[in-house]
Amino acid sequence: MITLLTGAGLFLFGGLLAIPAKKQWRGMLFIVISLIAQFFILPPVIKILYGSPVISINLNFSGPIGNAGLLVDPLAAFFMLIISIGGLLAAIYSAGYMKMYRDDDRYSLGSYYFFMGLLIAAMLMVVIIQNALLFLIAWEIMSLSSFFLVTFEHRKEEVRKAGLYYLVAMQIGAAFLLTAFGWSAIQTGSLDFASFKNLSIANPVNATFIFILFFLGFGTKAGFVPLHTWLPMAHPAAPTGVSAIMSGVMIKTGIYGILRMLLIFGVPSPWLAWFVFGVALITGLLGILNAIARQDLKEKLAFSSIENIGIIGLGIGVGMLGIVSGRQLIALAGFLGALLHIFNHFTFKSLLFFGAGIVYSKTHTRNIEKLGGLAHYLPVTSALFLIGSLAISGLPLFNGFIGEFAIYFGLVKGLNATGGALHLTAIIGLAGLALIGVMAALCFTQIFGICFLGSPRTAWHNQPAEASPAMLIPMAALAFLIILIGLFTPLVLSLFWTVVQQFLPFSAVSVWFELYTIYEKINRALLILGGLILFFTLLRWLLLRGKSVATFKTWDCGYQAESSRLQYTASSFAASFVEMGSALVPRKSVVESSRELFPSGAQFTSDTDDVTEQSLIRPSISLLQKTLQRFAWIQSGKTQQYILYGLIFLLILVIWIIGVH
Amino acid sequence: MLKGFYALILVLGPFILPGIINRIKAIWAGRKGPAILQPLFDFNKLIRKGEVISKTTSFVFRIAPPVNVAAVLFASLIIPLPQHNAILSFPGDFILFAYSLALARFMLVIAALDTGSSFEGMGSAREITFSAIVEPAFFILVGSLALVTGHTSFAAIFELLNYSTGFTILVKSLCVISLFIMLLTECARVPVDDPNTHLELTMIHEVMILDYSGSDLAFMQYAVGLKMVTIATLLANLLIPTGTGTAAGLALYLVVLAIAAIAVGLVESWIARLRMTHVPQFIFLMAAFSLTAFAVVMFLIHGGF
Repeated sequence: MITLLTGAGLFLFGGLLAIPAKKQWRGMLFIVISLIAQFFILPPVIKILYGSPVISINLNFSGPIGNAGLLVDPLAAFFMLIISIGGLLAAIYSAGYMKMYRDDDRYSLGSYYFFMGLLIAAMLMVVIIQNALLFLIAWEIMSLSSFFLVTFEHRKEEVRKAGLYYLVAMQIGAAFLLTAFGWSAIQTGSLDFASFKNLSIANPVNATFIFILFFLGFGTKAGFVPLHTWLPMAHPAAPTGVSAIMSGVMIKTGIYGILRMLLIFGVPSPWLAWFVFGVALITGLLGILNAIARQDLKEKLAFSSIENIGIIGLGIGVGMLGIVSGRQLIALAGFLGALLHIFNHFTFKSLLFFGAGIVYSKTHTRNIEKLGGLAHYLPVTSALFLIGSLAISGLPLFNGFIGEFAIYFGLVKGLNATGGALHLTAIIGLAGLALIGVMAALCFTQIFGICFLGSPRTAWHNQPAEASPAMLIPMAALAFLIILIGLFTPLVLSLFWTVVQQFLPFSAVSVWFELYTIYEKINRALLILGGLILFFTLLRWLLLRGKSVATFKTWDCGYQAESSRLQYTASSFAASFVEMGSALVPRKSVVESSRELFPSGAQFTSDTDDVTEQSLIRPSISLLQKTLQRFAWIQSGKTQQYILYGLIFLLILVIWIIGVH
Repeated sequence: MLKGFYALILVLGPFILPGIINRIKAIWAGRKGPAILQPLFDFNKLIRKGEVISKTTSFVFRIAPPVNVAAVLFASLIIPLPQHNAILSFPGDFILFAYSLALARFMLVIAALDTGSSFEGMGSAREITFSAIVEPAFFILVGSLALVTGHTSFAAIFELLNYSTGFTILVKSLCVISLFIMLLTECARVPVDDPNTHLELTMIHEVMILDYSGSDLAFMQYAVGLKMVTIATLLANLLIPTGTGTAAGLALYLVVLAIAAIAVGLVESWIARLRMTHVPQFIFLMAAFSLTAFAVVMFLIHGGF
């Protein structure tokens, strides 16, 4: 435990050291210290994942805190692994990316590294702490430090706005958590997580409501619909290293919270499983639909994170359904799928955000309609980005498929179980997950195809050149992880076993073996696929050897005035699909054209709105404002009136005391 | 022996099936038509040629043809030969089947976008939009079959499905219609797409491979033919009853492949390609038939919902 806490402390220490350090050394310093922290954190964590006994200590505080446990069980270890590696990669990337702010006196890199260190340390503490009060403190430090990171470019109006929106959303989420923790503490008389366990047995109805409150609170952090609206605002505003760590790692702490509560409360009532399943399915579908409709690269990636949170939620829902219906294999497949997807999403989403950051730093735009042809200028970045795109679309050979397969498998096994409701759920889940998968493929063919392929859509001031190694190394490391999990699944699968086991109320060795065997077969099949690809690539090379391969312009059907602006755009690529879902992604288009006989100029703008933001969040906020406006007279600003309030209060107090005695 | 037979089908089928389709269309139009093996002759000519590659393109354009062929070939290895086990078979194998076709599609689409041509962009947008309807429908379809048989791999599903009688005939015929629509969509045939159209604006698949030439074009065309053979094999699995006997079963399999090609040819002779805005509605029919199959299965198992 001490080593692990030292590791967490080192991140904080690195951040602190960066404040007084010289400009040029800050990044390097933080990398070195993060690297040292890995040696403290990774060995014990991996040992626990491979089945070593859990580490725990109990601290006894006087006062309101009481008994506070620190526990590193497989679930905590699993998340520590992601946080620690994610922190290191973000640190390396930042050293390259933040160079553009280094000589800008308006922004302070010292505070950037300080808050990054604080954020990583706080996340590490969040997954260890087993006491409600301390947990909330760590949780708030995490939210606040990420707020300061989001508002790094605080001199920009839209960044400040996004930052405030993020802060408010986090506080609303925390309010749900506060209520849930408070309710549990009142019921059990203790702030210790371990004591909450009795709640489920003593009062299942209460436990159900508390669980839903927890789900809302943690779901705000994770980004479940309709609590997701902060994600597409905060991510584009934040510097890219921060977006990557927020999307790849921090929102997973929300998932961690839900999983931890699941361990504590079990599944207090069967319909909770359907609740989680339904919310997750809607989250997945709405998330990716919005991602397709947007034009801002980082906004698209943020919405895609929402979609992936939906997939993780689907896995959790399937696992819960398995527990509720007593089917071991379904429960195992669901939870395994969720955990695999948590890790996988960390790898490919961080990679994609890193790639998006390189695109932004080289072209100074996030609007994908203005990009194009980057594969010629950034060959390494684009190859790595392609790997990330293939993985996030769940395609075989990459890790996305491995995780989604487990969830699919759980659903298919639901078809083999008994129960009409389960069958219906399973079919809806299968069709829904397939639809999410196809839409993800649409979204990422669009992103990759429009940004990196074709020819540039606007002229660049200076030609983009390949990014520095500091930015490419973390991407390459993540691509390595993606292919490792995708092609050599059995090697890494056993890391997940101890974690998954915690969620199963029965000994699941035999079903684990069954699923493991299937994965071995898939792995063999995928190696064949890899072999076939190699074979045909070689065949192509052999066929073309010694023959003329000429280059010429693209066939343009004889059209004379070729122009790169004639290319298909991201919006037109998605148009026919978005039209089908137009009820969910309302599109506003404005056409301005002159009505002269020989019209010269015309303008067309179109924009899409998030339907939950538009028809749920904004109306409820304005309703709240209207209601609160009625009480505005209380705060008149006149001192005399405030003194009157004090007098009335004292008067009531006196009357009350007299009345009581 | 059986593997060799299947390998032969996978090598020759992608040429013969389009050959049959073209011959049927020609006969229906009162022409004599090209030789049935004409696509093979074309292939042979193409792989001997050099290439012209657009200067706009990147590495994606070059890796797409081999990956495309490999992924479709891999998908075909997951489909069992009627009454036999597939080369690659495990519980849930149909998921891998659908996703390897998706991998092929992904590469095809980004390769088309790589040329920077607006026509190819148009084709790729259509391809991926239509697949968004096909894929969920396919999962509902196989899901219903998994529900009725209690198994999750293609081979086990088909084995059990073909033993039982009664209701399953209804389910099977719904599935056959659904899969036939999938075949028309995935292999770019009328009424979804017309491979013989002369206008780039109206094409889907052909326009996506517009800039390919030489052996790359040969790869792409072979992949489409292979996809047709693969889906027709799925149809054959549905139609050939278990216990037909190996020799008779294989003969029947060839007959089903031929009938599938003839059916496609006749459809192309009878009806015109749909207007692009109506194509999604046509593909939704596949989802409708799959859902009906699911409803029938639910009725069969639960006597209602």
